Amino acid sequence: MTLRKLPNYLRRYRKRARLSQDELAFLLGSSSGAKVSRYERFKRIPALETALACEAIFGVPARELFAGIFQKVERSTTRRARLLARRLSARQAQPLMAEKLSRLRRFLPS
Amino acid sequence: MLAIDPTSRGFGFAILEGPEILIDWGVKQTRVRKNPRCLKQVQELIERYEPEMIVVEDCAAKGSRRCLRVRNLIQSIRVLAANRRIRTRCFSRLRVRQVFSEQDARTKHEIATAIARQLPELRPHLPSFRKPWMSEDERMAIFDAMAFALTYYRLADLRQTTPSAQGLPLTIHAT
Repeated sequence: MTLRKLPNYLRRYRKRARLSQDELAFLLGSSSGAKVSRYERFKRIPALETALACEAIFGVPARELFAGIFQKVERSTTRRARLLARRLSARQAQPLMAEKLSRLRRFLPS
Repeated sequence: MLAIDPTSRGFGFAILEGPEILIDWGVKQTRVRKNPRCLKQVQELIERYEPEMIVVEDCAAKGSRRCLRVRNLIQSIRVLAANRRIRTRCFSRLRVRQVFSEQDARTKHEIATAIARQLPELRPHLPSFRKPWMSEDERMAIFDAMAFALTYYRLADLRQTTPSAQGLPLTIHAT
């Protein structure tokens, strides 16, 4: 069983970097720390630009910083990939289709 | 895991995802209606982090010098955890000292220093050595909470690696 991750670990990395919410907000281009507080309380999901800015600030990959969100996205994508693989395999066999299927199966967890 | 150590003005807490992964830590303070407010803040932490386990001090253990209010607060935290189907573990101060004596840490300050060595993010919060005429630094509650959490991990680790440790007389009360 996979360990359930928190939506994000911003608070952990911010505290480790000894930054205040206001300081991090400034680095992210926000006017106040309120937005950072909302991210840390999991009340708001940051935009892609913010996520990438966090990666640049803390030097931690976004998939680790936003581990819970990544886990959720990965799960739903895997589910859709499985569905697509099933749909494709039901169609007539073509060389291109076989390549697509093998690609999809490589992506799917065994 | 959520580790809590009540103080005279509130409580110190630590959220961990393993013995070396510290997620959040801090001190919550209140001056009036201490227990209801502390309980509300504990509830907020539980809602935010959804811990699988809460670790607190065993006030019923021999030698515990906790006042009635703190005993009641710890009991309320345990009830709150039970209502949310969260496991609770209690460790006596003596048990914590026994565990940390492996690292040659016997006093409260030595234990806090050992924790700060293990988790560098806590190093800036380590209070200076307390002289007899000084009152305790509020941040010591973070290290006390951490000590309970690390005691749990150490004992769990011992139970897994040493089969003979399973028979150890542990002062753990589970709910």
